[in-house]
Amino acid sequence: MNNELNEYLDGDRELEELSPEAQAEADAWRRLTGELKADEPRQAPAWMENAVMSQIALADAPKESLFGWLLRPRTIRLSPLTSLAVAAAAVAVFVLLPDPAPDTQQPGPVAVTQILVEFSLDAPGAMTVAVAGDFSGWETEFALDDADGDGIWTGRIPITPGVHKYMFVIDGTDWVTDPRAQRYSDDGFGNRNAVLAVSPPRSL
Amino acid sequence: MPDANVTPSRFCSSNVWSPGNFTSMSAEELSDAEVVREILGGQREMYRVLVRRYQDVLYRHAYRMVGQPDDAEDIVQKTLVNGFQKLNRCRDPERVGGWLFRIAANLCKDFLKSPRRADLSIEGASATVVDRSRPDADLEREELKDRVQQALERLSPEQREAFVLKHLEGRSYGEMTALLGASKSALKMRVLRAREELQTLLKVYHEQ
Repeated sequence: MNNELNEYLDGDRELEELSPEAQAEADAWRRLTGELKADEPRQAPAWMENAVMSQIALADAPKESLFGWLLRPRTIRLSPLTSLAVAAAAVAVFVLLPDPAPDTQQPGPVAVTQILVEFSLDAPGAMTVAVAGDFSGWETEFALDDADGDGIWTGRIPITPGVHKYMFVIDGTDWVTDPRAQRYSDDGFGNRNAVLAVSPPRSL
Repeated sequence: MPDANVTPSRFCSSNVWSPGNFTSMSAEELSDAEVVREILGGQREMYRVLVRRYQDVLYRHAYRMVGQPDDAEDIVQKTLVNGFQKLNRCRDPERVGGWLFRIAANLCKDFLKSPRRADLSIEGASATVVDRSRPDADLEREELKDRVQQALERLSPEQREAFVLKHLEGRSYGEMTALLGASKSALKMRVLRAREELQTLLKVYHEQ
């Protein structure tokens, strides 16, 4: 496919920068996508909202986790006397804290070394398997691969040394705990996170 | 057990919710995270706010992916019901829309990969009827659209998804990366492959 046309379609070039042939092709692409969009529905059918709400009326309610409850913003009312006592306690803690050691060096750039960690999950029948953890902001950006179709999904992911929590995500929706993890911890959502300790390289 | 001094959440005072009385401006003005918090706190009717916010964008995506209104409706219903049941697993309630979109996107790809879908596609292709009473230009336009739909069906679900997001939904690669979790270079490659595939098929069509 014409390279300049691709760059235009990716938004990396202006139409005027293209050759006349590429401009004609770009025009054909615009017409094509315009035709595809012309007759498509703009909105979900009107009955959708109530159909979904009827179904969830019968479904099990999701429960807020302990973790979520702890993080939930709330207003705490204190009497004037209690407020005074809390303020006094805060001042006392501040006064009694030892002075931090004076800085003797300017902070320099810190080299962050990452270690390749191999993940593996036996998940025959899965369409996709990804790893989500605190190292990815719990996003499923690290996809595992099952190139030979044997149901064992593997992949190597660069992770900074330290203790990390993670889970596998099957088909984008099912969060699964690694059955072969080193350790586990309660994730506050009623499940267990797998815990992984990544050691720094010996030279650090 | 919550502290008795904790201020109750703002919707706990109302225990009656129905489509008729759910016109509160304040509910519509809540952030996604606040709505999620209310739902997880027991106000399941608040899920209607999320349904209203996201059903259209989910439906348009599902329709573009699977090509049939009935199938798109099934996928969106399943997405929204699954989303409710698994809402406590949404790690970033402020982005619950993206989380629902990912559920829908995966259901669309599962649907396209299912053997049932493959059988239906073959039957559908053989059942195309051309209306000879319509003007030539309309017929040609309809035929082109049918040909493009068939070409889209030949793409892998991942290529089709990339093409739909880029060319029919007009999303940037940055948005696509955030939605799908794939790298920008991988997405560019999928879009390129989809364009090449479509261009080849359309060229054959024009030469016929």
